[in-house]
Amino acid sequence: MSAPHGAATPVDEGRPGPGEPPSAARPSVARRLGIQRYAILIVFAALVIGFGVDIPSTFLSVGNLSNILGSQAVLFILVMAVLLPTIMGDFVDLSLGSSLGLSAMVLAVLNVQHGTNVVLACLAGVAAALVVGLVNVFFVVYFDNDPFIVTLGTMTIVQGIIYIVSGDNSVGIVSTNLSNWVFTNTFLSIPLEFYYGLAIFLVVWYVLSFTPVGQKALVIGQSREVARLTGIRVDRQRSWAFIIAAGIAGIAGIAYAATNGTVDPTAGSALILPAYAAVFLGATAIRPGRINALGALIAVYFLATGTAGFELLGAQSYYQQIFYGAALVAAITIPKVTRDRIFKRRRTA
Amino acid sequence: MEQAPDPPAADAVDAVDAAAVDPPAVELRDISKDFGSNRALDGVNLRIGHGEVVGLVGQNGSGKSTLVKILSGVYAPEPGGRLFVSGEEVPLPLAPGQASEIGLSFVYQNLALAPGLNVLENLTIGQRIAGGPRAWAPINWLKERRRAAAVLDRYQVQLNLDERTGDLPPVDQARLAIVRAAEDLRRYRTRSGYKHSVLVLDEPTVFLPEEDVERLFDLIRTIVAEGAAVLFISHDLVAVGSITDRIVVLRDGRVVADELAGEIGEQALVDLIVGTPVRTGGGAQADAVEAAEAARVRAAEAKLAPVISDASEGTPLPGGGNVVVEHLADGRLADLSFDIGAGEILGVAGLIGSGAEDVPYLLFGAHPALGGTLRLGDETLDIGKLSPQRSVRERIAFVPADRQVLGLSERLALWENIVMLVEDEHYRGGIFRRSELVALAREAIERFEIRPPLAHAVTATFSGGNQQKALLAKWLMARPRLLLLHEPTQGVDVGARRDIYRFVKSAAALNQTAVLWVTTDFGELAEVCDRVLVLSQGRPVTTLTGAELSDDTISAAALRQIREAR
Repeated sequence: MSAPHGAATPVDEGRPGPGEPPSAARPSVARRLGIQRYAILIVFAALVIGFGVDIPSTFLSVGNLSNILGSQAVLFILVMAVLLPTIMGDFVDLSLGSSLGLSAMVLAVLNVQHGTNVVLACLAGVAAALVVGLVNVFFVVYFDNDPFIVTLGTMTIVQGIIYIVSGDNSVGIVSTNLSNWVFTNTFLSIPLEFYYGLAIFLVVWYVLSFTPVGQKALVIGQSREVARLTGIRVDRQRSWAFIIAAGIAGIAGIAYAATNGTVDPTAGSALILPAYAAVFLGATAIRPGRINALGALIAVYFLATGTAGFELLGAQSYYQQIFYGAALVAAITIPKVTRDRIFKRRRTA
Repeated sequence: MEQAPDPPAADAVDAVDAAAVDPPAVELRDISKDFGSNRALDGVNLRIGHGEVVGLVGQNGSGKSTLVKILSGVYAPEPGGRLFVSGEEVPLPLAPGQASEIGLSFVYQNLALAPGLNVLENLTIGQRIAGGPRAWAPINWLKERRRAAAVLDRYQVQLNLDERTGDLPPVDQARLAIVRAAEDLRRYRTRSGYKHSVLVLDEPTVFLPEEDVERLFDLIRTIVAEGAAVLFISHDLVAVGSITDRIVVLRDGRVVADELAGEIGEQALVDLIVGTPVRTGGGAQADAVEAAEAARVRAAEAKLAPVISDASEGTPLPGGGNVVVEHLADGRLADLSFDIGAGEILGVAGLIGSGAEDVPYLLFGAHPALGGTLRLGDETLDIGKLSPQRSVRERIAFVPADRQVLGLSERLALWENIVMLVEDEHYRGGIFRRSELVALAREAIERFEIRPPLAHAVTATFSGGNQQKALLAKWLMARPRLLLLHEPTQGVDVGARRDIYRFVKSAAALNQTAVLWVTTDFGELAEVCDRVLVLSQGRPVTTLTGAELSDDTISAAALRQIREAR
């Protein structure tokens, strides 16, 4: 072996020598986690440096920063919603995209077509989303059905309701007051909605990381039967996750309506899959193998930065999808390739 | 005839083999199997004649399942073992799948039926496994249906071909699996022209109510009439006595008896299975061992005392009181009552299917009970309404057998598993005191001697024994009043096993925790328990204490009662 300082060198947990084989005392776990935790951040930094060197005048501008942070606020809020059922092992709530759309559409129809006060219209929008969450709880938790199938159904139903409510038309323009307070007004040149998203993130992150509720959610997600036999109220906590997630998706709907001014009937459906991409990509960072809020935050802005950079380089915006998909598949695969393939080959060599 | 030097077996064979002109359907000669330094089978000879039903009985660990696994090709025997079918030698070990090509067919306890498929599909699935072009040939369902109906008719089993298999009562599921295996054998005989074939039934009656066992036996008789031989493996001595022609008894890997079923009484059979001299108490050597063990327990108590009091800050929780269970009932248990004193370790023993293994799940509310009451000190709980949440609040602890699915969350860090039950006590002022919890876990890791002592390592990376210690630590943290253990040393190495005995004993002594210990390892019960309650078919048989407690006395009680219960 080519260990540079002799075979007796104790293994450094963080950075092993390049030629060192994984030793019997399995330090490789800590080592691998050490690298994997920050892999996305490292690639993130590399992207920023790369774009910064290549196109400094456009990429490193306040306008671009504001664009990256502001343009993703709706997606980011939706990501926080998606996180909650997912962390508890209900891997898919497809209806959250439709809840976003429903909330935005109810708000727009009430505010624009019926002249309802914008605050009341917002509340009505969130309430509509909460109803979707309750329906999901009823069929997924109470009747113990597969969440994928149930939410596929509720997603489709809600989408239908959106078409009925809107008469299959885009509805606008919602109150400029709302737009001002969400999108137009800025703080440090960044639209206020970024800070709303940040606030929601802080609450979610705090609850998941610093309260027993969060720890229990983790146990429920990792091993539901263990949680049940430890006396955790599994179904109650899953129910709250579906309901709160729907509420947050409703808030994302308000941000959507305010940002775009006009609400399209297909509003939420384009966002749900990118939101899941960010959540799962985030699960490979910070706390690998665990769905986590901080990882999701990094993932959203990593993807946004990459997309913005490539757009500035002249790529069409639809290349975003390829970047999203490729990053997700790469993030979950690369750790396995290094671990299993390369180590195995080296061992047998 | 060159028989291996095993007198009882040879005698019995001579006595039995009426059709001596024919070579037996299957004959095993001089089969041995070592697992490391442990000899599981030692020169076993077994003959199964055409159309004969042979019972194979023995305690857990006597070598029955090892023998079956050699016949099915899972294990390779030690060199020198030989297998003959219809007098022709087949080289051992058998390749996977080869057993069916030489006329052997197996039905195990789990039956290997797909519950979501219907009866017709389960019956015919064996014909679908061919690869290549045949996998693409169309299935004529009308023809399959007619054939399947004819098959069921042949064995006089009435089943609806369209019924979902999982919805069938257990006895019909067993009959379906047996018919399928018997039909494979019949096809084998037709195809090959050989007249031998052996159906191996491994504990087929375990989960069946008494009245259904007879229906199963009718089926077995039909199969034998069709021309197959049967090897019937069971704990149920009444069943073995009534269906078999000949009984082979295994003990410690050797054949200790091979007798005609009609010529051996059940009392004699129990003695053969258990081994004749039933030990009562121990000699001087046992006393010395006990003294050393007591010293170790005292040392462990001294070590555990802080971790147990650390777990609950402030006011000490009231110690355990007596635990009284009354009229506990579920599908299998009928009106079971017993009590456990504070600080006492009560073992519950029974063969698989006796209901013993249900008791801890019911008392914790993990499985619903039909009824019963649980008195903890001066509180009375309705067992029918217990939930795990309620039990945790009442400080009932539960260590389930399936540690990896039910006990520990394997992908979490070790510390997270250990402190799971006391988390809420370390959430103050809106902040989760993670460092306190990690410190608590580290103390537990030290005191429960968990190796390697890495609080942050992923739980799945620890060995079975260390995981089990962590699981025990998790529950003892909560200072239980009643500790329920199901197979707490399953898949645990000898050293860790000793440690677990020590920890449970000292927790019982220190905290006055009442302990309920359920396992099919009767030697373990004899070693750790103050008292052992023996169950059979959902009913209490006897309670053994003190000097009466030994592996053999418990075994004998569990076996013997089956006869008395009927």
